[in-house]
Amino acid sequence: MVPKGQQVDVVGLTKTFGALKAVDDLTFSVRPGLVTGFLGPNGSGKTTTLRCVLGLLRPTSGTATIGGVPYARLRDPIGTVGAALEASSFHPGRSARAHLEVMAIGAGVDRGRAGQMLAQVGLTEVAGKRVGGFSLGMRQRLALAAALLGDPEVLLLDEPANGLDPAGIAWLRQFLRALAAEGRTVLISSHVLSEVQQTVDEVVVLSRGRLVRQGTLAELDGGEREVLVRTPEPERLRDALAAASLEVVGTDGSGRLRVAGATTDVVGHAAFEAGVEVHELVAEAGRLERVFLELTEGGHA
Amino acid sequence: MTALLRAELLKILSTRLWWALLIGALAFSAIQSVASAVIAGMEAQPGAPAMPGLDTAEAVRSVYPMAMFTGTYIFAMVLGITGMTGEYRYQTITSTFLVSPRRSRVVVAKILAHGLMGVVYAVLGLLAVLVVGGATMTIRGYGLRLDADRLWVTMGLAVLAVAIWAIVGIGIGTLIRSQVAAIMTGVLITFLVEPLLTYAMAAADLDWLVKWLPSNASSALMAPGSSLVDYLDWWAGGLVLLGYGLVLAALGIVLSVRRDVS
Repeated sequence: MVPKGQQVDVVGLTKTFGALKAVDDLTFSVRPGLVTGFLGPNGSGKTTTLRCVLGLLRPTSGTATIGGVPYARLRDPIGTVGAALEASSFHPGRSARAHLEVMAIGAGVDRGRAGQMLAQVGLTEVAGKRVGGFSLGMRQRLALAAALLGDPEVLLLDEPANGLDPAGIAWLRQFLRALAAEGRTVLISSHVLSEVQQTVDEVVVLSRGRLVRQGTLAELDGGEREVLVRTPEPERLRDALAAASLEVVGTDGSGRLRVAGATTDVVGHAAFEAGVEVHELVAEAGRLERVFLELTEGGHA
Repeated sequence: MTALLRAELLKILSTRLWWALLIGALAFSAIQSVASAVIAGMEAQPGAPAMPGLDTAEAVRSVYPMAMFTGTYIFAMVLGITGMTGEYRYQTITSTFLVSPRRSRVVVAKILAHGLMGVVYAVLGLLAVLVVGGATMTIRGYGLRLDADRLWVTMGLAVLAVAIWAIVGIGIGTLIRSQVAAIMTGVLITFLVEPLLTYAMAAADLDWLVKWLPSNASSALMAPGSSLVDYLDWWAGGLVLLGYGLVLAALGIVLSVRRDVS
């Protein structure tokens, strides 16, 4: 059976804890077949939003639905939504396998799935060990196994890369991309853009409980990129670029020219046409990260 | 519902706490049973009334069901308390409610599972007191006395009483979510507050009130003799105890359903 992804819709969601407005009139949708990044600094309301979607918190106002249905009314909850929350914790005295079996039995899922999921996340060897001795990375893998237990159409993962080593993060990236390619809905939260930048198709950016941007990564970027170019003949290159109506906006710390609103192809071509020697030509890295920081820190000003 | 009940049972059996509590309950029951069999028939001492001899059914009931109940009910209650507070302490309540967002069903499954564990504790406790209490009575030359009046009925009621105390534990665990505070409260109430209240109320001639305390309702269920308290009829004691269990369980359901899980 080909799994059909379900759309997750958050509409006008507000959640207050006493005087604190953790989530403030938040509206966004998460589409099937894509990996969506749920981004924002710590304390911006990501976990609170996910807990509202999962029916663990009661929204102060607004709704959160999966395929149009609130979590509490899903017919097959863990077969529809698999979730791994940041605080999702385990009894330290219970084995990894027993933790999954408790969930499987309660949900009416075949108990053998527990072993299969442990194998899938690479925990077979420690399946019978008590979780109290697990590292953060192993707990993250177990949380992911728990989320996958019901073969869900929607995956909601809170900071899944936390505690994973680089190989683990690379594996997770592949894995989530494959799940999205099957048509499932995948949402992963993170407070570090670079952690998920290579994994996500779309982003939902939160700051102080409010939505500040939803769209593709390219849209977040705004298409505006700077190109850095190093040359022994900067004056000639400036003229050549000006002739191609490209603007040099300055130089960086190591003397490279900064060209605004261009791509490496265009700058390289202009230099070639003018016969200017070029030693280095790169698209500026980290710009997306800066946009992200500006967006999310706007609320702090 | 059966699925959730089985999940709750696996939760209990997949950590080691139930073992530790069971060993405690068996040891306590055995000590209580031997002590009851030894002091039975003692003459009145200054400050202590005469104890009925082992030739009376009353003394035999104190060696078997009453000793088992006294030794086991607090451990069953603690199992119930941790069955609820442990979920919050280790935040496993999150995955529990993700598997079953219909929270009232989860609490009902917990009540059934812990009631069942109470029955298991009580039956094993009865085996323990039958062995050690029976041996002590045999040494004293009275034999096992398994034909004593109302003995088997009382044993059945004692099993029921232990099961209800496990459910009371679930209720306490819902009212007080901190595990340490909940256990302290439960044990303090049963060990200290209730006995003190019983003495104080008896001294103040509040007999009409004292018999409604949960431990005294449990005692009434097993109908032992006590010079201190005028117990309810056994069936009324059972109903009162069941009332405590059900009220606390209902509170548990209502609170769990409404509460935010963060």
